[in-house]
Amino acid sequence: MTEPIAPAWASAPAPPSDAPPAVVPALQLDHVSRWYGNVVAVNDVSFALGAGVTGLLGPNGAGKSTLLHLMAGLLRPSAGSVLVRGRAAWRDPAIYRDIGLVPEKEAVHPYLSGYEFALLNARLQGVPDPEGAARRAIEIVDLVDASHRPTGTYSKGMRQRAKIAGALVHEPTVLLLDEPFNGMDPRQRLHMMDLLRSMAAAGRTILFSSHILEEVERLADSILVVHAGRLAAAGDYRSIRRLMTDRPHTFRVRSSDDRRLAAALIADPAVFGAELLDGRLAVSTSDYAAFTHALPRLAAGAGITLHEVAPTNDSLESVFSYLVRR
Amino acid sequence: MNAFMPLVGVTLRGLLGRRRLALMLLLVALPVALAVLVRIGGGGRNDASGILDTLVIRTVLPLVALVLGTAALGSEIDDGTIVHLLVKPIARRWIIFASAVVAAGLTALLCVPSVILTGLLTSGLGSASVTTTFAFAVAVLVGGTAYTVVFMALSTVTSRALVIGLVYTLIWEGVIAGLLEGTRFLSIRQATLGLAAALGGKRPGSEPLDPVISVAILVVATVGALLIATRQLARFEVRGGD
Repeated sequence: MTEPIAPAWASAPAPPSDAPPAVVPALQLDHVSRWYGNVVAVNDVSFALGAGVTGLLGPNGAGKSTLLHLMAGLLRPSAGSVLVRGRAAWRDPAIYRDIGLVPEKEAVHPYLSGYEFALLNARLQGVPDPEGAARRAIEIVDLVDASHRPTGTYSKGMRQRAKIAGALVHEPTVLLLDEPFNGMDPRQRLHMMDLLRSMAAAGRTILFSSHILEEVERLADSILVVHAGRLAAAGDYRSIRRLMTDRPHTFRVRSSDDRRLAAALIADPAVFGAELLDGRLAVSTSDYAAFTHALPRLAAGAGITLHEVAPTNDSLESVFSYLVRR
Repeated sequence: MNAFMPLVGVTLRGLLGRRRLALMLLLVALPVALAVLVRIGGGGRNDASGILDTLVIRTVLPLVALVLGTAALGSEIDDGTIVHLLVKPIARRWIIFASAVVAAGLTALLCVPSVILTGLLTSGLGSASVTTTFAFAVAVLVGGTAYTVVFMALSTVTSRALVIGLVYTLIWEGVIAGLLEGTRFLSIRQATLGLAAALGGKRPGSEPLDPVISVAILVVATVGALLIATRQLARFEVRGGD
């Protein structure tokens, strides 16, 4: 195993040569929609991103890949505008000097080695020293040992790293990654997170998609939550996380006396609903922490034994639905 | 154009897969093997146009062009690797141009030697034989380019290019163009045969297309296909994802 190499941009700021004025966001979506026939994949999404790591969070099928493809100029917006450093993303190959894209699909030319793939990308990007750039990118993604093997023989995680190497060869100011940690082992995942953080610290804009909350939590400074094609929430990670935690929760409770427990619970200010459905007690609360503290206390005070307490709407899907409805 | 040679290189590597190459070599060796058999059997003939017309232009050439033309871009579109080429600061016409050059070049590289060997083995080294062989070689070069580029353009329009190309070759050119006189103007095969006839490779008893019309059909097919493919790739949108 090779030690992670500090990339050139870890210490250097983003290239100022053709940089637009600071007021222009790196990525800007203005009322963007994309539909396929009657199916709306992205629905009236607007946001702007500058330097830093942003997580694009949402369940499978939420529209994350469609959004990234719109930003990468690989899909035409049905409505609205997508700008990359102030330029329209659709049908303008010049934006690719600024963008690096790591698509979700694993496909990499199977007959090229990892190094050849990075070299191809460097040559197509027209970087001054393509061989050096390809070598550096391969070192950065920790793929040196396998760099001369055809990518067709790679594991999923190795192909993922080869794609990232290909996207980094020209040191883009905007990096778009679609589920980049898929197939990576924990060590590679940590290494990649460090790399993305260092790029962000050097002034780059990093946007990565994930359907795993923990990945976003560990890496992103800010997040965009998408659900059913709509932007459910956007902003600082902590405030979004608080929204997720403080949303109404419903618990299914089974006890030695559900009816008496319901009466005791409804008097508590943290509880706003208690009903007996099919012989089971369903309790709704707006304060997760207060309720979980109050429940055992109230049950013990009333001499009731708790047999089961289970949340009924803790799936990510229900969290996203709540954020959209809010 | 700095990106042209890397594009040529990656297209060439993609097309030279071991199985595909073996299949293509087997196809182009077929007429040569037949000519060798004719030679060994003492059946050498004065005119090679029959075998070149039937075996090469009607069979081997469209099949080789179909496989290489549809694979040059189509396989990258199908497996998604095209995205890596599209997200580069290069005009998409260079991707089309590189694919066309490689696929048409390989078609020529495989089919033209096959024509030359088949022609000379069949009818010897006499001047008439050389003229006929040369005529067919040039026609295969030009017609093969038209076929390949048309099939490549087809692969940018539909993921079923191979099937549609086969139907065009077997049904349209093989049956309909022979039955309905007017449809010959929409046949690359007829234009290729017309060009061969004009250059001295006329098959006895055949009624080829006028040479000017033949050349016009081949040029229009090639240039039109290049324009369509470029337009398609410029408006290309990725499939799938969520």
